[in-house]
Formats: sequence, structure tokens, C-alpha cells
Amino acid sequence: MTDAVSTPDSPDHALFSRVLSALDIVVFERDEESGAYRLHGASPEWWSQCVDPDHRATLDLSRCSPFLQDYLVGRHPAWEGNLGTIEKSGPWTESDQQGGSMTLEASLLSLGSRKLLLIECLGSSFEDMRSIVQRARERVLAEDLTAKLHRNTETQLIDQLEASERTKDEALTLLQHLGIAALVLDVGGLVTFASRRALEVLGITATDVIGQHWEQVLPLSQPDCVLIQSMLEGSSRMESGGPFCLQGPQARWLAVEIHRDLCHPSRHIMVLSDRTELHALRQALHEQASFHDLVGKSSAMLRVYQLVRDVAQVDTTVLIEGETGTGKELIARAIHSSSTRKHKPFIAANCAGLTDSILTSQLFGHKRGAFTGAIQDQQGLFEAAEGGTLFLDEIGDIPPQVQTALLRVLQEKEITRLGEAKPRKVNVRVVAATHHNLSEDVVRGSFRADLLYRIRIARVSLPPLRERREDIPLLAQSLLGTICASTGKTVERLNPDALRVLMSYSWPGNVRELRSAVEFAVISCKGNEVFPADLPPEIAGTPVGLSPSIFIPLSSQDEKTRLLAALSEAKGNRTEAAKRLGISRATFYRRLVELEIRPF
Amino acid sequence: MMQKKICMLGGFAVGKTSLVRRFVTNVFSNEYHTTIGVTVEKKTVVVDKEDVTLVLWDLYGEDEFQRVRESYLRGSSGYILVMDGTRKSTLETALALHQTVVRTIGAVPFVSIINKADLQADWEIDETAIEHLRGQGWTVLIGSAKLGQGVEEVFGQLATQIVTPSPAPRTSA
Repeated sequence: MTDAVSTPDSPDHALFSRVLSALDIVVFERDEESGAYRLHGASPEWWSQCVDPDHRATLDLSRCSPFLQDYLVGRHPAWEGNLGTIEKSGPWTESDQQGGSMTLEASLLSLGSRKLLLIECLGSSFEDMRSIVQRARERVLAEDLTAKLHRNTETQLIDQLEASERTKDEALTLLQHLGIAALVLDVGGLVTFASRRALEVLGITATDVIGQHWEQVLPLSQPDCVLIQSMLEGSSRMESGGPFCLQGPQARWLAVEIHRDLCHPSRHIMVLSDRTELHALRQALHEQASFHDLVGKSSAMLRVYQLVRDVAQVDTTVLIEGETGTGKELIARAIHSSSTRKHKPFIAANCAGLTDSILTSQLFGHKRGAFTGAIQDQQGLFEAAEGGTLFLDEIGDIPPQVQTALLRVLQEKEITRLGEAKPRKVNVRVVAATHHNLSEDVVRGSFRADLLYRIRIARVSLPPLRERREDIPLLAQSLLGTICASTGKTVERLNPDALRVLMSYSWPGNVRELRSAVEFAVISCKGNEVFPADLPPEIAGTPVGLSPSIFIPLSSQDEKTRLLAALSEAKGNRTEAAKRLGISRATFYRRLVELEIRPF
Repeated sequence: MMQKKICMLGGFAVGKTSLVRRFVTNVFSNEYHTTIGVTVEKKTVVVDKEDVTLVLWDLYGEDEFQRVRESYLRGSSGYILVMDGTRKSTLETALALHQTVVRTIGAVPFVSIINKADLQADWEIDETAIEHLRGQGWTVLIGSAKLGQGVEEVFGQLATQIVTPSPAPRTSA
């Protein structure tokens, strides 16, 4: 199109119309005077969809899209003499007469004084552009959504982390508040956390603990370390153990529990419980209920323990009185162990049933050739016990000559071996024991009064078992444990009925007889509980409910029968017979002599 | 009959076309079709017993691909700022467009609507931000083109403001 006027019948006009038709554009020229828009050339097919067929030749603005109306109302530089300027409206969507829509765009330009309006229907290239923008925006929306999801996830994780931190802080506060002593160990056994209470118990600071191996943190004995390590490794079925002694200037006792961290199975939580005070209390209780190898917490025995402690503090001769089987030798050992002589020898000698020459030789030693059979110099028990304690059991049975020699030893602190003339100095504490009433023996003239006074400087009287029956359950259970340990049998307890029988029995053989009875029961017992039927027949037959405080001594004939029966059962073995009766061999011998029983 | 040009303004995909379609034809589509250019729709409403034809210029959404041509705003009697509650960035776009309108045609009545109330659990525009807008004199409605919620109200309120102007609205952004 040129500025030259082309009349409808000119060749240029025909060419112009064909060009417009080919470009698919509607061209209007604005008449400045009337303001009307006149169509140039043939209109494309789509334009007929937009306008009334009767109004195709001119553009009736009142029938146009509001967008085009609005657009054409304004001022346009392209129509104000700016030649070469093409002004575009931008796309708008127009409804067609078929109920569909099309996207149009108007362009304004001037050719000389002529003002032209071009309207084109945006086709496939526009749709391509729309599609690109659509995809780009959808992508932005999708990325937006993804970013939002990430932000939400991040927020959730932060919230969870904060909640977890809060939980951790609360748990830690609770842990600290509860005073639980806990160590957290990593897979290598290194401490990664220690509670405040744990630091207090261990008496160290966090910097001393964190990163250290638990064995360095807990100064335990090697066997204890091995046990705890086995608990950590799961090779031990135990999850708790102790109390273990923490070695150090002030020993502490700790119980240890091992827990696997459920969140991190490779980690362990070691909970420490300070049992020092409990251990001390138990120790005190144990000491109260027993003394050295003596068992019993009756008031009578407690008095004995205290007496032994008192006696142990001095270095005098002691006389222990008590029936057979009451534990006189144990008392002697307790005195020795509690005294300053405890690191020196403790020698026990039974004076019953020995002739004066044998006893003298045993006590004081002899020189080679002193008597027939003395083939070499022999040290006596006094010398053997040098610095320590000599326990003379059944001292009431020693012959008068030996009594005299013993008196001299106690007075002069020296002994003379048989066959020698020169005395030897000895430093020995003598602890004597008897079941006799030595005062009566003195009256009868069978025991030297001066010796009695010499040996009875300190005196410990042991009550018979029937006078401290409340100790029988404790004693029986203790004996049960000891016997089971030595025999390998597992008998856990005494049935209450069996215990009642034991409590009702008179126990002439005292604790020794009780031990014998429990041993019998352990052998007889088929389960893990001792029943009355498991006890020796003479005990099992005891009527339960008889006044236990009344001891009815056996008549001589009864005792003779018992001794003979025991000897018969033991096939003449006196040691075995004594054991069966729960009395010492010495007592057994003595009773044989007293009852004029001739050994088989 | 009174005719009033109203521009629908807002970021892309906030639901301008959906609000117009719900208002004019009571139709909603879940599919997103981006608007390129302008689509003009008309609907007549009654304000103070007088018919008013609202000429709704549904403009393309503003983003980095398309900026609103200021020429489209000329002759507007009012405009509706549309935001998407699930995208906080559309609030920023609305504020920028509001400034553009004020700069271009001066203070004219407008109403804003936060669309997609049906997804309120996922909203990023919180109550504080809404209160802040209201504090600046904005009329802020909560709506959903999908549910038809707040649609009549937003166009009705704007029509009322246009026909019966109240004291000059604040124009600060």
C-alpha cells in the first residue's frame, strides 16, 4: 500500500485487495471528517464471524468490542503525524457469532494523511506463544509448590528438632532433678554423657569423663570390669550387677545397670546406684548377726560378741565355758583374730584323752632321746604358737602333772622341753576351754585352784543352742548355704514345718549337732526345700510344740544307748559316731570313758 | 444504562478469570488457562435500584513475562485486586499493581479479594498481613471462585463504591 490514491478500478487497487486477502488482515481507513472507518479490500473469513454481514464495509464502533472502542477513543501517536510508527493495541479476546472466541490485535499507522486501522486474528504463532507462557507459569507454580513443600518440611523438621531438643532438655532436667547417676557409652565404650549425679558419685568433673573409656572412669577391680564388660557385650545374662567397690581413698560401692539405648542400639546407658551407705548398713547388720564364723543375733550371742571384742583388746588368759558343740574353738579363733596377735599362729590342741607324757610332749616339745621313740628334737605347741594364741580345749581333762607344768608356763612365760633342763622363753596367749564346771573340779580336787585362777582371768560363757533358739533359723539357713556350697546340691530353704521341728528339738549337741542334722537333710532332700522327713529320725520325731525352753537331759542309760547305737551305725568308727551324734571326738571319747563303754 | 469499566488486576494464576467467569456465568473450571491480553465481559447489577453494567476487563496476570499496560487502566471506574492466599508473593504483586493504578489514573474505588479460601489450610497470607492491609484502608474480602464464596460481594461492593462514592479512599500502598 502506498500513499498514492488507488481508485477501486485501478490495477493497484486490485493488487492491494489480493495482498490484504493473502495477509488475512482487515484494513480500515478512518475518515477524519465523519470519524467513520471504511473497509479496504475484501475482508477475511474470520471477520464475518465478528460483525454483522450488513455492516462489513464500515466499522460500527458501537457494535465493536468494548476493548476496541476503548482503544480507538484515546490519542494515538501513530495517527498524529509520526510516519512509520505502527502502534499495536495488544491482544484481546473477542466472542464470535458461533459462541466461540478469537484473539485479535489492532495496529494503527499513518500513510501520509491517511489513518489506517489494521485488525488481525492472532493465529497459531500466538497460540504457540500462549502455550509457552502457560507452560512457563505452570512451571513457576510447580516450583513454587515444591519450594513451599520444602519450606513446610523444613519447618516441620525444625519444629521436630526443637521439640526433640525440648524433650531432651526436659529429660535431662528430669534426670538431673531425679539425681540419677547415668553414663552414656558409645559403641567403643567411650563416655559421651555423664549426669550431674554420676559426676558427684564418681567425684570427678565432666571434662575428666567425656571421651574417656568407662574402665578409666570407674576404678573397679579387674574381675568387676570383666563382669561389666560381659554385661555390655550381652554375653552375660545379667543386666545389673554389684555392688562393685570403687577403689580409691574412700571406697564407694556402686550397683551398675546396663540398658541398651533403644534409639541407638550400639549405645549403652550405664545407670550407677550409690550403695555405699546400704553396703555399710548391710555390713553392720551382718556383723551384728554374725561374728567371725559365729552365727546368731540373739541377745545372748550379742553379749558374747561384745565380750570377745573386749577380751581381744587385752592379752590375758581366757577361759571359754560351754557345752559341747557350742563353738568354743570358734570363740577362741575370734578372740585371736580380733587381737593384736592375729597375724601370728593360732594353734588348737585337744587335751582330752591324752596321757600326761604325750600331752607334755605335745605342749612343750622334747629333746631327741627324751623317751622311747623321741628320735629327734621336737618343738612343742607353745613354741609353735610363738607370738600367737594357743587354744587348749578340754583343759579340765588334763592330768595333774601337766596342770603343774602349765601353771609354770603361764606364770614364768617359759617352757622346758622334755629331756632338756634349760627353759625357753615363750610369748603365747593361752585361751582355754572346757565343758566342765572347773570350780566343782577344784572342790573335787581334780583341778588345781591356782591354775583355775590363772586361766580364768577372763571368762566367756557360751549359751547352749536350746537357750538361744531364735538363732536356729539363721544358723540353719547359714549352714544350709555352706553345706550346699560344699556338696554342690541346690537346696534353697527350709520348709516352715522343718524349721518348727528344728526349733522344738533340744539340741544336746548344740550347733555341731544342728550342722550334722542339716547336712543329713541336704543329703536326703530330693527337691530344693527341706521337709521334716528329710531330717534325722531322732529330730524329725520331735513333738512340735513342746516347751522349747525346757531341756530334759538324757539319762545315763539313754545316752549310753545313743552312743552305742551311733558306734554301731558307724561300724565302730568313733570319729564318725561322734559326728553322727553332733558332738566332738573328744567329748565322745570322754563320754565313752565316763559311761564305761568299751570301744568295739 | 450506566456502564462502568472495572479492571481485574493481580499476579498470574490468582483466579481473576475464574472470579469473572463465576460472577458472569456461574461456572468454575479447575484447569488453569493463562490469559494473554485482555478478555472483556459484561454483567449488569442493580445498585440503589439502578441497573449498572459492569464492563469487566480481565487483564492478564502480572509477572516477569507480562507487565500490565497502563493504557488498559485508563477509563476505569474501579478495579479489583486479586490475591492468591496460598502464595504470599501475590500480595506483593497486588501492592505494586495498586501503586501503578494510583500513579496512572489516580485514586478510584477498589476492592481486594484473597482468593482460594477453599485451600485456607495452605495459606501463606496470614491474618496479620490482612489486618495490615485493612489498616491501610483496603477493603479485603476472603473468597473462593471454586466455592463461589465472596464473589458476588466483591463485585457488588465495588459497584456500590463506584456508584455511590463514599469519602475518598486512602490511596497509600
